[in-house]
Amino acid sequence: MPIGARPPIIRFDHASFGFPGVTALEDITLSIEAGEFVGVIGPNGSGKTTLCRAVLGLLPPIKGQLHIFDCACQELRCRHRAKIGYLPQKGVVDRNFPVTVFETVMMGRYGALGLFHRPGPQDRRIAMESLALVAMERYKDTALGHLSGGQQQRVFIARALAQQPKVLLLDEPTTGLDLPMQHNVIELIQHLHETLGLTVLLITHDINMIRSRVDRLVLLKTRLYAAGPPADVLQPNILEQVYGKGLVISDKDLVIVGDYHHHSH
Amino acid sequence: MLELFAYDFMQRSLLAAAMVGGLCSLIGVFVVLRGLAFVGAGTSHAAFAGVTLGYLMGWPPLLVAITFGVATVWITGWLEEQGRMKLDVSIGILYTATMAMAIVFIGLMKTYNAEVYGYLFGSVLSVTGEELFLLGGLATLVLGLLIAFWKELFFIAFDQEMAEASGVPARRIFFLLLTLVALTVVVALKTVGAILVFAMILIPASTAYQLTHSLTTLTLYSVIIGTATAVTGVIVSTVWDIPSGPSIVLLATAVFFFSLLISPKRRRISSNHLC
Repeated sequence: MPIGARPPIIRFDHASFGFPGVTALEDITLSIEAGEFVGVIGPNGSGKTTLCRAVLGLLPPIKGQLHIFDCACQELRCRHRAKIGYLPQKGVVDRNFPVTVFETVMMGRYGALGLFHRPGPQDRRIAMESLALVAMERYKDTALGHLSGGQQQRVFIARALAQQPKVLLLDEPTTGLDLPMQHNVIELIQHLHETLGLTVLLITHDINMIRSRVDRLVLLKTRLYAAGPPADVLQPNILEQVYGKGLVISDKDLVIVGDYHHHSH
Repeated sequence: MLELFAYDFMQRSLLAAAMVGGLCSLIGVFVVLRGLAFVGAGTSHAAFAGVTLGYLMGWPPLLVAITFGVATVWITGWLEEQGRMKLDVSIGILYTATMAMAIVFIGLMKTYNAEVYGYLFGSVLSVTGEELFLLGGLATLVLGLLIAFWKELFFIAFDQEMAEASGVPARRIFFLLLTLVALTVVVALKTVGAILVFAMILIPASTAYQLTHSLTTLTLYSVIIGTATAVTGVIVSTVWDIPSGPSIVLLATAVFFFSLLISPKRRRISSNHLC
């Protein structure tokens, strides 16, 4: 189904987010359709992680509205939240926590199971299938802390998949990984999007890594500066408004920005 | 030595020690993993303030201890949640404030009360049948809640925000954990005393943490170490005629240092340094 003909799964309607005295995101109007692959880009402090927390239902709008699965975000119940598979930024989670790969992935079932329900054989099967989807099933008894950064990201993606989500929300999934592993993780995400039909919202600094893979790019800097196909968004005049004059677009169409966080490859 | 076990007081003491050792080491797993070490220390002093107020006013000391302990952890948790103050700062303030209250309450007592000092330093050998029954009831309640919310407690210890985002009512579970810590402290107060109770929570789980990378195994090891050191500590204290609380804690500390020596994590760090 072409983009524009599918029902919106996440809908921001003039929504602003922040804390008393601080507006992190202002007047955002944006619809994300079921099955879309959307990349969210912007410099540090542009509100990308705030957008992520809003979609998770952890931060209600201070103005306007945010609807997720046709439900106002502050009314998101456990069963709604379980439909959003979330990969947090590296460093948020203690990777030396005494937990095996399988125990980590099983946590993806806990929200969907609800209180007082123990994981059963079906949950264990779903967890194993999720591990197989990221090609990590042979590590199921390995301690999480013994894996490489890329392998850990795969395990966390499996944990998100074990929720059997409709939306996959990924906050900087390639940060701290070497270049081959970054490609590896992004290819895995694209593969999951295509094979499972998941709606993917990918927050990243790395414009060049995702530009050829996403349906749409969303460019943020407190406000929504642009949203559309990568070719439309990655225009020098638009990017300069957000990144300033330090931005260069090379003859190979690579976006290079002055900030050390935004190196292209 | 075997004739010791024939005495009623010894049987009650060993049962109380096993119960407290097992329970403290079980809740200790979540305390260590969620980084609540200081909360337990603060709670034990708040609970002691409750005991002293109970004796001063003629109210049931354990009930007042529970009220003080739970109020302390809830205020601390609320302040952290509001982003107003870090957990260790607020608990540090309440810790000293409640200890000051305890000293004031003791000062207001007209006569010396040995039972109050029993709660400060621990006196497992003087546990009565009634107290054992009450401790058993509280321990069963805490254990039941731990088992009922096991997977949620595990998840919030790993990452509370991820748990919330996944549909687990993480905030309520966090406050449940704080409440269970407070209840456990009260359960253990008479056995090891307010000063040492937190060692019973912290040391077995920290010891088990050195020995495994699996949460299930860690929990099992923690409970075994906690129960075994508590029971052995009581026997040692009786045989050598030394105070029971310190002998339990010193024994647990010795096991902790031994675990550091044999820890597979230590070997892993050393081998990483060689690379």
